[in-house]
Amino acid sequence: MSTPISIRLTLNGTAREAAAEPRKTLADFLREDCGATGTHLGCEHGVCGACTVIVDGDPVRSCLMLAVQAQGTEITTIEGLADGDEMNPLQRAMKAAHGFQCGFCTPGFLMSITAMLDENPNPSETEIRETLSGNLCRCTGYESILKGVIGAITATNGSNA
Amino acid sequence: MSTVAASMPQRYVGTSVERSEDQRILTGSGTYVDDISLPAMVHATFVRSPFAHARITGIDTSEAEALPGVHAVVTGEALQAMLDPEAPSPGGFGTAPMKFTVLCTDKVRLVGDPVVMVIADSRYIAEDAAELVVVEYEPLQPVADAATALDPSSEPIFEDLGRNVSQDATVHVHGDVDAVFAKADRIVTTRIEQHRHQNVPMECRGCVADFDHATGHLTQHSANQGVHSARSTLAVQLGLEPDKVRILCKDIGGSFGLKNGASREEIAVAAGSRLLGRPVKWIEDRNENLAFSGHAREETLEVEAAVNDDGLILGLKVRMVCDTGAYPAMGSMLGGIVERMIPGPYKMEALQFEYVPVITNKAAYVAYRGPWAAETFTRERLVDQIADELGMDRVEIRMRNIDYQGVDPGTMITGSTLKSCTVRESLDTLVEKIDFAEFRARQVAAHAEGRYLGIGVASYIESAPGPYNGRPLGRERINAKLDDDGTVLVFTGQMPHGQSHETTYAQIAADAFGVDFDQVRIVVGDSDVVPPGNTGGSRGAPMAGGGTLHAARQLRGKVLDVAAHLLEASVDDLEIVDASVGVKGVPTSRRTLADIALAAKSGDFPDEVDADLTVEVKYEGGMGGWAGGTHCAIVEVDVETGRVHIDRYLVIEDCGQLINPALVDGQICGGVVQGIGAVLLERSAYDEEANFLAGTFMDYLLPSTTEVPHIEIVHLESVFLDDDVNFRGVGEGGMIVCPPTLISAIEDALSPFGVHITEQHVPPLRILEMIGAI
Repeated sequence: MSTPISIRLTLNGTAREAAAEPRKTLADFLREDCGATGTHLGCEHGVCGACTVIVDGDPVRSCLMLAVQAQGTEITTIEGLADGDEMNPLQRAMKAAHGFQCGFCTPGFLMSITAMLDENPNPSETEIRETLSGNLCRCTGYESILKGVIGAITATNGSNA
Repeated sequence: MSTVAASMPQRYVGTSVERSEDQRILTGSGTYVDDISLPAMVHATFVRSPFAHARITGIDTSEAEALPGVHAVVTGEALQAMLDPEAPSPGGFGTAPMKFTVLCTDKVRLVGDPVVMVIADSRYIAEDAAELVVVEYEPLQPVADAATALDPSSEPIFEDLGRNVSQDATVHVHGDVDAVFAKADRIVTTRIEQHRHQNVPMECRGCVADFDHATGHLTQHSANQGVHSARSTLAVQLGLEPDKVRILCKDIGGSFGLKNGASREEIAVAAGSRLLGRPVKWIEDRNENLAFSGHAREETLEVEAAVNDDGLILGLKVRMVCDTGAYPAMGSMLGGIVERMIPGPYKMEALQFEYVPVITNKAAYVAYRGPWAAETFTRERLVDQIADELGMDRVEIRMRNIDYQGVDPGTMITGSTLKSCTVRESLDTLVEKIDFAEFRARQVAAHAEGRYLGIGVASYIESAPGPYNGRPLGRERINAKLDDDGTVLVFTGQMPHGQSHETTYAQIAADAFGVDFDQVRIVVGDSDVVPPGNTGGSRGAPMAGGGTLHAARQLRGKVLDVAAHLLEASVDDLEIVDASVGVKGVPTSRRTLADIALAAKSGDFPDEVDADLTVEVKYEGGMGGWAGGTHCAIVEVDVETGRVHIDRYLVIEDCGQLINPALVDGQICGGVVQGIGAVLLERSAYDEEANFLAGTFMDYLLPSTTEVPHIEIVHLESVFLDDDVNFRGVGEGGMIVCPPTLISAIEDALSPFGVHITEQHVPPLRILEMIGAI
């Protein structure tokens, strides 16, 4: 153990500060110290993608990043997508597509999709599949998730992916 | 009570209503077990065996105990002293005839066996302390496979048993096996292997135990498929009166059969909470989950088939050996289900079935989505082989052996009527949907270019719930009540973990009661509140769905009786409109359901009116029916790399009446992709010393978006047996029949190499081996 370090960051638009040991992962920091339990841990070794959050615009596996490395960053998690109870277009499209089942992989998928669409608002199906191959879902077989992504693209752009 | 019309208009059943669950799941506000945080909560972790089979010769916990932040270091012996000495071995789901303890005391029986529990301020500190626990082992000869276990000289894993065969072999005979084998034109033999793979829910197991010394109550926040079985296990193991144990479940991140009852770790954590008088959380990590939580499917079936040259299969002799792992629970009861189901929809005359479960130093056999699937894999591989030996078409041989059942049902040789089975119809649909002649031409053309295409077909049935055969199909309890605000509450012991029960049961209840979908709430996950039950066997829709329908209908009848009294009208003249009851055509007469609920509570009613607006239904499954169908895969195998690309995947299935088509399709796609994973990627591998080799997601590979095809689905809704309830299970079918479908297609693609596949796991390296490339 070593002395906790004070970490300041912006989480879903709100400034947060908490102390954490240098070894604490960003995922644990978000969940335990910021109370943001929407981010889930599925493997804790960087494969399943459930813990994906957006750090300064990039999708990051928060189980592989230390909280201290997030000092001063701007982080978006699943809790930052909706406006109160009002879902954003991606969430609404996923609901319409019955995108997810158990919901455990959901935060990672939503954040990976959000980052993907921020960079490329109109990806092809191949690009979608390649980008999302780093997120594992055990329930859906991915069919409904892909449908939800395409629904979100259509809703936002009014065009087909 | 009044008689209520059987057929209410269906506004919701049959439509893809959006999920009630999604508001919380899509916004990150679900509550999974790791999201539970209680005041003064501490964290548990386990010291686990690095050996497959070893005697424990010493444990030194002193250094771990001295670490700041550590609250308890509990050995197996110390834990036993905290538990009821009369309690049986903690077997979990199924039966466990052998004696063993919650944490190991004398010996360890697999890699990952829990030996010591450490509880500390944080999981980080608990894991630090676990590193400081010194356990001395004297390694024993490991039993790494079924062949070793069957050798009488192998080291017994349970000394009280004295051998590694867990129960005496049973041989059951249906029909006149000798006569059938004597009259057959030929005997076809095969040996089919399923490999060990596992559930892998994205959420690992876990719990938060909260023992209150002031009241003597244990509240366990849990993630499992039925709160009542966890409750009884914890009560028995901890020596508590059952009414002092409460199990709470909220959102569960998948299970697929794994999370049944209270695990050994959950018993230990509950005892730890009682020891410390504070809440204790345990969240399994992925390595523990892969190594220890449970595995499925390691089975070998030796089969002889009596066959006529016209392709008719007359009978089977089957010997099944199941590697049930180190702590046989469900594995001991598996044989009976495989035996019952192995004839499938095929009209064979005789079956001899022998089941031999063996114990090895590997993870325990647990239920995994269609646990009995060996019957379908074996039978469908065998049918392909028989077709090939006879030079028959693989679809034609199925058509010859399977009858249309809707009109004149046959009977499985193991006893069940095949009434409502539509597999034969699914084969007709198959040949309408797939142009086999066109495919064969394409296959030949591709081969000329050095490309290898293949087509595969397999059929199955699932007893979900099965057709009525003179006995109840189950006893599913559903309670319902009209709450003070007019909400229809439905209470079920089903514990959803992705299946969307909160949506589908609300659809059913809303239709049966005659209210809006939003007026119904499904209550799950609290053992103080919900009736007994658990989710499994694809019975959530037919049994609990059926119970929900009858409960909502009965409740409607009671509400109308009360309303009739309040409105001084005849029940026959009443209607439920906009959450109000009124006299038909007289809108001013309406009283809201909330008014009626409150009036009923006042108790001012004559004796003949039952104003208790609660119902308890015990639903026995009605006339039931089969789920089943046929899958077809078209693949291309790259013989340079051994990779399989699935060009097309078609599902033709019959799960009776669809409650919510989008959710049905989701269940099917999820199951199929787990089957694809089993065939191409997933293996819970051990070496010859029973060391576990697949402890991370870099070793245990799951399908991702780049490996899975688009899945086409055709629904047959053909033969309804019941007046009211014709929902059938759909959760397991995809997983049951995908592996033989895909293997059939791969074998077809590799037919130029003369490859005959009798195993289920064919990753690229294995394909290259089979074609002689390496």
